[in-house]
Amino acid sequence: MYLQLAIRNLRRVKVRSALAMLGIIIGVTAVSSIGIFGENLKRVVLENFQDMVNEVIILPSTTNGYDSIDEKTLSKIGKSIYISELIPVKSKTAKIEGEKSTYAIVYGLNERDVEELFKAEKGKISLKRKCVVGNTLAKRLDIRVGDRLRIGNKEYKVSAILEREGARFDINPNNAVIVSLQEFSDNFNLEYSMLIVKVKNVDEIENFKKFVERSVNYKVKKVEVFELKSIIERINRAFNQVNLFLMAIAAVSLLVAGVSILNIMLMSTIERTKEIGVMRAIGAFRESILKIFLLESLILGISGSVIGGILSLGGGYLITSLIIHRSGDILNLSSLLYMAEGMFFGTLTSLISGLYPAYRASKLEPIEALRYE
Amino acid sequence: MKAKAYEIVRLKNVTKVYKIGYYEVVALNDVSLEIKDGEFIAVMGPSGSGKSTLLNIIGCLDKPTSGEVFINGVSTKKLSEKKLTELRRDTIGFVFQQYNLIPTLTARENIELPMIFKGMDERERENRVREILEMLTLENLADRKPMELSGGQQQKVAIARALANEPKILLCDEPTGNLDSRSGHEIMETIKMLNREEGMTVILVTHDESLKKYAERVIRLRDGRIVDVSSTGN
Repeated sequence: MYLQLAIRNLRRVKVRSALAMLGIIIGVTAVSSIGIFGENLKRVVLENFQDMVNEVIILPSTTNGYDSIDEKTLSKIGKSIYISELIPVKSKTAKIEGEKSTYAIVYGLNERDVEELFKAEKGKISLKRKCVVGNTLAKRLDIRVGDRLRIGNKEYKVSAILEREGARFDINPNNAVIVSLQEFSDNFNLEYSMLIVKVKNVDEIENFKKFVERSVNYKVKKVEVFELKSIIERINRAFNQVNLFLMAIAAVSLLVAGVSILNIMLMSTIERTKEIGVMRAIGAFRESILKIFLLESLILGISGSVIGGILSLGGGYLITSLIIHRSGDILNLSSLLYMAEGMFFGTLTSLISGLYPAYRASKLEPIEALRYE
Repeated sequence: MKAKAYEIVRLKNVTKVYKIGYYEVVALNDVSLEIKDGEFIAVMGPSGSGKSTLLNIIGCLDKPTSGEVFINGVSTKKLSEKKLTELRRDTIGFVFQQYNLIPTLTARENIELPMIFKGMDERERENRVREILEMLTLENLADRKPMELSGGQQQKVAIARALANEPKILLCDEPTGNLDSRSGHEIMETIKMLNREEGMTVILVTHDESLKKYAERVIRLRDGRIVDVSSTGN
């Protein structure tokens, strides 16, 4: 009955109720749409890193005086049951001499690993007394497939120019030359500068780290273990913060909607002063009056939020497809979560805005209210 | 004959002073009054004599500045806001000059409202509403909104609403003041019937001398004081 009464009271002032609800609809749509867009943007960006979550990088512990990783350590780590792939890397900055010359990083890698990690833009990857050159470096030095480069005291034929790579955390080949591990050792006589490890299962990263501590670092900390997962998590967090900020801006429209509900509810309490007096006279407690008025603003809030929530799916889809040109899979759990979040805040706004008018209505003295004309 | 055993309303030296701006208005001045269960009282006097104030104080809508009010033997002085509301809800029925029905509710729902405030369940409410509608022959109007009713019909619904929780006291503030004489007559007959057949105590505030005939006692007020109490012989 209270609900009935509240609904009928809202119907009494249809236009006013509709406008207040519109405010909530706009607010919820704005907040949820932006939330959904941000979430999808994040997903698209993080997809690029997805194949790296199970990657672990092992570097020599320079703080403990190690500048490289020796064969013994490599073979120890290679024995771990947790890993599916182990890519040993050697590297050094050296002078590259072709038609022009410059200093650049030279990597020593297994041919098989290079084929797995990178793609050739021109030529075919081969490291048998040959080398491959990163995209940027090739452009800068005008290097073509078949050219000869002098690195250290050896000469290599360029077998391939690599495709340009996006940001990576392990090896950055764009400005580098890659030779085989064997050639690298012959040339520079250095041990490993980095081991790239792929763990079979992301959940086993911790176990693998423990294994390294036990088998390699048991006396002195020889190596440091970095998991790319934590870097990705940091990116994730940064995106979430930006998203939260954008949603907060959108929430200003909810605030405005809240003020308009506050406004119409206050108007209602004044217009219905006499009615409140009558109800108090015939036995309504203060709480009953409070309930009726709160219900009214809640109905506005809930119905506005539901409509806004549904619209936000469309809105989110629209922004996402306009800005990142990818929106096929908008209907995922996190989108629905943002929709729910918007609806929750829409409802909360109406509840908060309804509190003061309802409280004021309930505090009216019955005799004063009855006299009100 | 009805047994007029106990005092259902007792006022003891009740004074009510209103502050309007810088002025103080004495609405009731040291009024003492006893009303027995089942009595029909008419309170008369010119406007500003304190009639409505007296009614509001008996109805626990207003509190006296000094003095004490007993309803059904209970002093209202120390009752909490909540207890006063319960007292109004269960013991007192109000009939106003302006009918004061809730415009969004149908006649039936208006009658039901005090029962909802009391927390009655739906079946019980339905039965009680049917009973009241029958008693006041309002069945045909039950599903109309106040806007769709004439003044007399609205006032009848208002009386029905006052009966919702079977109160002992019916407080009527100029119930015929907005009605033509025929409707007014019908309303007064209804009120008289409730007094005679249901044994309700009726306190009627009016300045219409013709309504005297319904009452057993007439109390005349002037400037906040009782100036005359007379039995009509009814």
